[in-house]
Amino acid sequence: MQTLIIGFLIGCGFGAILYMGGATSYRRILGTLLLKDMTIIKLMCTAIGVGTLGIYLLDLGGLANMSIKPAYVGGVAVGGVVFGIGWAISGYCPGTCVVGAAEGKSDAIFTILGGLTGVFLFALAFPYLETAILEPLNFGKITLRDLTGISGIYLAIPFSAMLLALAFFVLKDRYE
Amino acid sequence: MQEQKAIISWKVAGVALGLLLTLATFLVTPLGVSTQFVVTDAIVAHQVAPEATENNAYLNKYGEKDDWGVGYGWMLVFGMFAGGLVTSRLLSKKQPDLDKGSMPKMWEGVFGGSRQKRLAAAFFGGVLLLFGARLAGGCTSGHMISGISQLAVSSFIFGIFTFGSAIAMAHFLYRKRG
Repeated sequence: MQTLIIGFLIGCGFGAILYMGGATSYRRILGTLLLKDMTIIKLMCTAIGVGTLGIYLLDLGGLANMSIKPAYVGGVAVGGVVFGIGWAISGYCPGTCVVGAAEGKSDAIFTILGGLTGVFLFALAFPYLETAILEPLNFGKITLRDLTGISGIYLAIPFSAMLLALAFFVLKDRYE
Repeated sequence: MQEQKAIISWKVAGVALGLLLTLATFLVTPLGVSTQFVVTDAIVAHQVAPEATENNAYLNKYGEKDDWGVGYGWMLVFGMFAGGLVTSRLLSKKQPDLDKGSMPKMWEGVFGGSRQKRLAAAFFGGVLLLFGARLAGGCTSGHMISGISQLAVSSFIFGIFTFGSAIAMAHFLYRKRG
């Protein structure tokens, strides 16, 4: 029960940040993908920069409940390509369409309905996809730490610094 | 396109999201959304056709199979809806006009003002989004934000292919038409 309440409260914060930060806005998402409006990419770089540092600081004390996704290269790459096309067409991702729906945007509601349909199709196709694309080239739940053998925090600090520098100093909006 | 600022700056939103991710990782587990579309499908399908659902290898694996009910992750997504609902009611006056509604000016300029067309595109985009996310094992929140923050190799791969394809598709949709 307690975990359910924590989940709900964290979700509330997540939804509020996405709404207030403008991540449910079509023009911002497409502006990002057209490489003109850098707001969303700067937001993401900052979030990942802070998150990387936070998670690996927790990890130093053994307090991070990490959840690493397995690297089955084929499925991840093809899935990423399909996802990217859907992202550019709808202007939403699976999280922002939920928040957009809460705002009352009908296109966001249709993206959710499409998403539920997409999952249903995936569930039907799963037995065929599993052997064709999900099982081959699976390197398991690996991180850069496993790949390089360098201790997590020593990777996290420069990576985080790089992303924050990118967001604060390098990326600039470009308009015609 | 650039003149109307969001309610909070990307700096505030980015730092807040990074801290929220850290908190979630400390308390339970990192953020993720797309799995909950599977859970929702599984719960609904289980109501309609229990046997077929239990026999489906995918729904059975990722739906909360013991009770076919909601868990932490689903409550998180439900919370996102609630958080969006409350803030959008309280702050709608501060939201830039260009960010409102479901007929974006940018879209209308190229594809026309047909409501059906926009909703059809949103639906079709949604199908691809979640099919792709389930193929890859996550979406923007689970893979890109949470996954890259954990320095997961698969999430870097997802990030590269997703942005590559989305950028290419956006440029194709908004290409100069002669």
